[in-house]
Amino acid sequence: MGYTLAEKLLASHTNDGKATAGDIVEANVDLLMVHEVLGSRILDVLNDMDFKKVWDSERIVVVNDHWAPASDINSAEIHRRNRNFVRDQGIKHFFDVDCGISHHVLPEQGLVVPGELIIGSDSHSTTYGAFNAFSTGLAATDSALILATGSCWFRVPESISIEVIGEFQDKVMSKDLILKIISDLGPDGANYQSMEFHGETIDNMKVGERMTMCNMSVEAGAKCSPMLVNEPVNKWMETLAPSKRWKPTFPDKDAEYCDSLIYDIKKEPLGPIVATPDNPTNGKAVREISGVPIDQAFIGSCTNGRIGDLEIAAKILKGKKVRKGVRLIITPASKHTYMMALERGLIKIFMDAGGIVTNSTCGACIGGHLGVLGAGEVCISSTNRNFKGRMGHQNSRIYLASPATVAASALKGAITDPRSVE
Amino acid sequence: MTGELKPITGRAWVFGNNIDTDQIIQGQYLTLLNYADMAKHTFEIPRPVFASKVKKNDVVIAGRNFGGGSSREEAPKVLLESGIGCVIAESFARIFYRNGFNVGLPLLIIPNVAKLVTDGETVTVDISEGTLSVRSSGDILHGKPLPKRMLDLLKEGGAVAWYKQSVGKH
Repeated sequence: MGYTLAEKLLASHTNDGKATAGDIVEANVDLLMVHEVLGSRILDVLNDMDFKKVWDSERIVVVNDHWAPASDINSAEIHRRNRNFVRDQGIKHFFDVDCGISHHVLPEQGLVVPGELIIGSDSHSTTYGAFNAFSTGLAATDSALILATGSCWFRVPESISIEVIGEFQDKVMSKDLILKIISDLGPDGANYQSMEFHGETIDNMKVGERMTMCNMSVEAGAKCSPMLVNEPVNKWMETLAPSKRWKPTFPDKDAEYCDSLIYDIKKEPLGPIVATPDNPTNGKAVREISGVPIDQAFIGSCTNGRIGDLEIAAKILKGKKVRKGVRLIITPASKHTYMMALERGLIKIFMDAGGIVTNSTCGACIGGHLGVLGAGEVCISSTNRNFKGRMGHQNSRIYLASPATVAASALKGAITDPRSVE
Repeated sequence: MTGELKPITGRAWVFGNNIDTDQIIQGQYLTLLNYADMAKHTFEIPRPVFASKVKKNDVVIAGRNFGGGSSREEAPKVLLESGIGCVIAESFARIFYRNGFNVGLPLLIIPNVAKLVTDGETVTVDISEGTLSVRSSGDILHGKPLPKRMLDLLKEGGAVAWYKQSVGKH
């Protein structure tokens, strides 16, 4: 019997080269990303451990991204602790408050390499599956143990094979597809499992579109969501990580899957999907809820704050005005993304339309700053979670959608099918 | 702190399915730098009275997929800080399950537990045996026994204690 992508990626990091679904294995980590959790929690754990020195100062990435720049005195203190740690430990890769969101910055800096085992102190670390890596999120104590030892135990996940065929319709995005898939699976439909993506639709996707899919697999409980290397990933690596040496990893033809799903978006055309409050797996066709009035429209986050997302939003907003009384907030995923948007004239389009463009940070997505919701407010958002209170007041309501649907809704002041906007 | 796991007796706080980590502790409190301050906001959205009424060794009982969403370890930590002796659910989200044992919070899976226990009842949980008994009815519910790795982590007092112990050995 053959092995899945998750099994093969993990097996290449164990001392005996073995990893079969259900096993508990000790694996050697290639890269660990920690963000504000370092200063707020991990340092305390390291103190308890009588920690002295990181296992490898070149394999650790520290990012100040969640409340960047500092939103209050506590986040300022957390950032200060992170900077001190980076200095004291000689950490090679440090991205301070001016750089952007970890899950976009790491690939952009060429730090995400196909075949590697990448851990982040953040649940959306599944994003790097887009690069044929095994990546998952852990929390403070596991991160502290990895910082000290470079290894960690994992239960090797079973895999669900998800094959997608067919082309997207105009103004329908990979966000709509992943909202559909996780809604079919439910909030724990892939708990402890790997969502392994296949098919021509996935092969034809740009890197950013793939990252959106892998980013949100965790909303169905997935541990990881690896994809095969495609041409855009090859180009990305050649351009952004020319010095890295790597080989693509493939699943065996006779790999064993616990379930196999097929989405044929040609036979059953996929339209825009919106997840209603309070769970990302509450996906509904946009026509079922169009007309719901909104107070805020947000485009940003590690899910959909990339250049392709800003481009489609700008196409919809160009020469038009956001509905009076609606706040449109745009937070590019990284400084580099912001600069590209600036050079391509997108920032001017957003501001002419009445939008607010912020610096790159997690910001509004986590209810941190730069767009926190008040009592009773409604937001349509290109982000990943619409849990109660996620973006602010516990009585605010969040609808998750693609950047195209968010932009169209900002123009109308209510949830709108982007295909209905010229 | 190596030792046997004693039975836990306390009030049952019963919740439904899919209690995500934002319901346990909201993102806005994550920059608080000590757990005592943070614990005052535990379950603030689903059960506003929880933080002021909870007592040591009370038991949280929930339906499916307890602790989904963010990887925040603050979720099991504020439960421990609140005095919660253990959490029993029909299933747990992956990262929460790992985090619970890492910080020394016992977690047990018992089928249909949220339907079989009424909020406010007094229950006794035996982690080693994997059982929960309801004082008023005398009913005993049986869960899956914990994997040895998880029991060892709890007996040791969490992952940090386990690390110190294993580093000491080498």
